[in-house]
Amino acid sequence: MMTVDTGVRRWEHRRARSVGEAAATSYYGVPPIHKAHWRWSVALYFFLGGLAGASGVIASFARLFGGREARPLVRLARYLSFIAILPAPFLLIYDLGRPERFHHMLRVVKFRSPMSLGVWGLIAASATATLNAFRQAADDGMLGQRTPLAALGRRLPDRAIAALSVGPSFFLSGYTGVLLGATAVPLWAKNALLLGPLFLCSALSNACAALSVLLRRLGPASLPLIHRLERLERVALVSELILLVALEQQSGPVIARPLRTGRLGRVRNALLSAGLALPISVHLLVGQRRGRLPEALRHIATLFVLASGFALRILILFAGHASADDPEATFVFNRRGSRP
Amino acid sequence: MAADLRVGTTGARPGAMGFLTDTTLCIGCKACEVACKQWNQLPMDNFGFTGMSYDNTGDLGATTWRHVAFIERIDDHTGRRPVKLQPFQSNWLMLSDVCKHCVYAGCMEACPTGAIIRTEFDTVVIQQDICNGCGYCVPACPFGVPELSLTDRKAHKCTLCYDRLKDGLEPACAKACPTDAIQFGPVPQLMERARKRVEELHQQGVTSAYIYGDRAVGGTGGIEGLNAFFILTAPPEVYNLPAQPELPQRRVLPAFLSTAAAALALGLAAWRALRGVK
Ligand code: SF4
Ligand code: SF4
Repeated sequence: MMTVDTGVRRWEHRRARSVGEAAATSYYGVPPIHKAHWRWSVALYFFLGGLAGASGVIASFARLFGGREARPLVRLARYLSFIAILPAPFLLIYDLGRPERFHHMLRVVKFRSPMSLGVWGLIAASATATLNAFRQAADDGMLGQRTPLAALGRRLPDRAIAALSVGPSFFLSGYTGVLLGATAVPLWAKNALLLGPLFLCSALSNACAALSVLLRRLGPASLPLIHRLERLERVALVSELILLVALEQQSGPVIARPLRTGRLGRVRNALLSAGLALPISVHLLVGQRRGRLPEALRHIATLFVLASGFALRILILFAGHASADDPEATFVFNRRGSRP
Repeated sequence: MAADLRVGTTGARPGAMGFLTDTTLCIGCKACEVACKQWNQLPMDNFGFTGMSYDNTGDLGATTWRHVAFIERIDDHTGRRPVKLQPFQSNWLMLSDVCKHCVYAGCMEACPTGAIIRTEFDTVVIQQDICNGCGYCVPACPFGVPELSLTDRKAHKCTLCYDRLKDGLEPACAKACPTDAIQFGPVPQLMERARKRVEELHQQGVTSAYIYGDRAVGGTGGIEGLNAFFILTAPPEVYNLPAQPELPQRRVLPAFLSTAAAALALGLAAWRALRGVK
């Protein structure tokens, strides 16, 4: 028989703590389930997908309800949505290993598989993001004035494509939470109902932060518009904070262990303080001082919000891996009466 | 714990074929592991010592489709090996673990490509030419069975020897097992046999024996039973099996609904914030 490097086996993940002490109640502390192989590229995909989706939502809402004044926001949000979604298929292909494997994903539609729905959702969201950006580019004269391409772009029904993109955009920024929840990984499965909303809120706060900073820098946008955007960001940030605390609470002491200890515990502390509490306080200050706050402080807060979007995905992803490696977490989750 | 684990039924479909793995008969010879590797041409795992008694493969994986677990029972009170033997066996528990070929399979429902199918024998098989290595079936299995192989980056697991069944042969592991601890056959028949065996064991004084994989245990929460089930004599966790596993896909609809509700709320907030900027 030939020897093949099969990588790190499950039993090699045994936690030193579990071995002896847990030997009576589990199998030498070997994780009872396999964790997912997903690494940073998947976290980045979750983050960019969220950003693209939420920007698409903002673009559509601003286009449909915002009137003339909101035009600069519509423009920036449409471009941001398009640019953020561009790397998504490549990240997916990078994760699958080979380009032709992406096309296998399109064999079937399975409603009980968020992975299958997600690929179709990504395609729908990419299509609407492209249409919106195309229309915007035509309006902005980026496609030339008299070219057939520009004529085609200008003929796209503006409001209709804006309305069309709301569904896929929301889907793209939230489905990844459902995807994680529909596994046997204790931390994700236990919080299946919370992960989608959490990712949605985080995506919206990220998009608001990015767009308000872009508006300030690239203008021309009225201050009231920016303030409205910041109000939305505040709502999203506060909901995100509440959901994150709720997630930790309802996980219980065993399943939530990876959120509280070690390196991930530090990520979670940074996320809660610098990523959420700090921007929220800056927002409140801005509200009180009627915007008379140093520009730099706002930019730092924006940066922190964006970083927290990525940190949240990293935290949830890797804390999930850690909970899958912990036999006790799996067993606790799989006892009747401990599930949501 | 084991006392309330009732001998029950399975939701297997008509014509389902499966395994009954009777751990009380297992002698830990690993004939099944070897036969499986040989028949399915699975490469040997990294040569090394797990440090876990006589276990050299550790767990189920891409190249280990049968895995014999060796559970050495240490006396609870003194931390030493007990001096009194169980009525039927030594102080070892041995379990030849395998894919459960669930009646409703998490791996199969998760697979986005339709690579995982249910065969005419009601077993669950990954079609290698279609699997694209997305790895979603891996965390979707509540029993930690499938695994991505690093050589071809595709998911692999027990096929219940689909190729042998096609030719009217029994799976290699069942064929090789010298004590008939692994039995192959139609699921209802195996379940009948398992019930009789458990009764017999109870009469012999092994009152802790029960069937893992019926509706009462290991088949709740939408899984509705396992086509490859086990006779165990200790709580499932001792064998590294989840007590009440659940079908992960039962959470898909509720999770989508809660996400949609959040989208509605955030949409309302966005509408209120952005409307009528004049
Ligand atoms: S045990 Fe896991 S891999 Fe086997 S059929 Fe069930 S869900 Fe699929
Ligand atoms: S790794 Fe292969 S078998 Fe598993 S879910 Fe993905 S495509 Fe399906």
